[in-house]
Amino acid sequence: MKLNFNLDAITKVSEFCIGREGSGQRRFVVVPADRAVIDELEKMVRRTWDGMAAHEDGCVKYEPSNKYASKAWLYVPLVDEMVVEMRNMHGAANLPSNAKELSTDPNEIYCYFVRLTDNQGQKLTAVRRASYFKAVSKRPLIQVFDDSVVMVTNALFKLDHDFDLLIDSEHVHILRLGAFESIGRLSEAILSSVPDNISFIKEQLPFIELGSIESYARTHIRAARYLASICAQENLGRIDMQRLLNQCVSTEVKAREVEGKLVIDVGAEMNFLQVLDRRRYGMELVMDKPEIFVAGSRKKA
Amino acid sequence: MKSREGLKIARLLMVLSSVSPVFVLWAVRGSNGGVPNVCFVLLCVLLFLTPNLFLLCRIRIATKKKGQGPRELVVGQWDDRGDHLLVYLFTMLLPFYSADLGTLRSVVATFIALAFVVFLFWHLNLHYMNLIFAMFGYRIFMICPPNSDNPFQEKTRYSLITRRVSFLPDQRINAYRVSDTVYLEAK
Repeated sequence: MKLNFNLDAITKVSEFCIGREGSGQRRFVVVPADRAVIDELEKMVRRTWDGMAAHEDGCVKYEPSNKYASKAWLYVPLVDEMVVEMRNMHGAANLPSNAKELSTDPNEIYCYFVRLTDNQGQKLTAVRRASYFKAVSKRPLIQVFDDSVVMVTNALFKLDHDFDLLIDSEHVHILRLGAFESIGRLSEAILSSVPDNISFIKEQLPFIELGSIESYARTHIRAARYLASICAQENLGRIDMQRLLNQCVSTEVKAREVEGKLVIDVGAEMNFLQVLDRRRYGMELVMDKPEIFVAGSRKKA
Repeated sequence: MKSREGLKIARLLMVLSSVSPVFVLWAVRGSNGGVPNVCFVLLCVLLFLTPNLFLLCRIRIATKKKGQGPRELVVGQWDDRGDHLLVYLFTMLLPFYSADLGTLRSVVATFIALAFVVFLFWHLNLHYMNLIFAMFGYRIFMICPPNSDNPFQEKTRYSLITRRVSFLPDQRINAYRVSDTVYLEAK
């Protein structure tokens, strides 16, 4: 997986921005920054990309229902509705500029990012969750100045070692999943996409009665994540009803066929989604001792 | 949400630079006896040079190679503010040029009136209106980003100082920040 940006040909056209969150509303502001700050931010971008490239497994497509290590190289296509927040951050033009925003109510700052341009006009947005900044701003710091020690009373802004996310023209590259889910308000995005995902699955699998599943997934984030993952599967429309029913029976999922449709009992919605998401398995290695497993993370062999 | 625009002193000096042609006219005209002529001319020269030197420094800082560098602005809608210079000419330069400076009281009153105008220009972010830009071939446009569903894309209006005469739809330009609302297009 390559970055759609030339890190060796970064131009001087750039923006350093902060994200503020207050009263449930988010907004971004450009903060004028000296060249030295921009240079340091560019180094952070390089360190981030090097950190991603160092992952042995390479780049893996993010699935909302899978569990991953806290640091891993994942990607999501920028057109995916899951990353609408990132897409808007990357594409917002003419953000307002205000140097005083950095020192005003620093606890409202939830992220900072830099937007870079290469010599081909390609854009890159590198984002970092600003949780460390908040912690620093609460404690007084001591700064050694000449031979005397003075108290630093102004809020300090400390840059991190690298970024959490890199956004180019086609993908969101994720290094820290927790930051991605927090900055991207992923839970809200996934819950709001439940109706669209249900509609999609209905088209692909018309023999499944999805009414109870939709009601359940609207209020249960894990189920909503399973739905999002299921929609991204290849060959979804080629699932055979009888084979699906057999798998449900063998893994003790309460589902039955009623007038040619697969109906899921109340309370079995999550288990059924696990089957559809290929993460509920049955094994019988010991005679007469069948075991059922649910995989938090799975990878096709 | 309160907007606290920065560079307050810089904007004030830029406004003084905008009104500085008045001081040139007054220096040529003289004080007509209101105050000693030498002092008056020196004051006018000081009031002309100080803000204009500052404006030059501000632009040099904004455009220097080791500075922040330009940022990209997208021009969705644009509005030529050249007519503002005409308004400025007839409401600013001509009335103040012909102000009576024959007595000390009239000189003080004139400067107080000028201070009100300066304050208004500063408060309304009209610090981009400057004959000096026009003399160097620059035009002033008010630009807005294109319409978009992007909730983070506010309808921020910027004043753009440029040598262009028009823009293509959704044209992207690189510009240096002179203040939070005034940008100078990069070459």
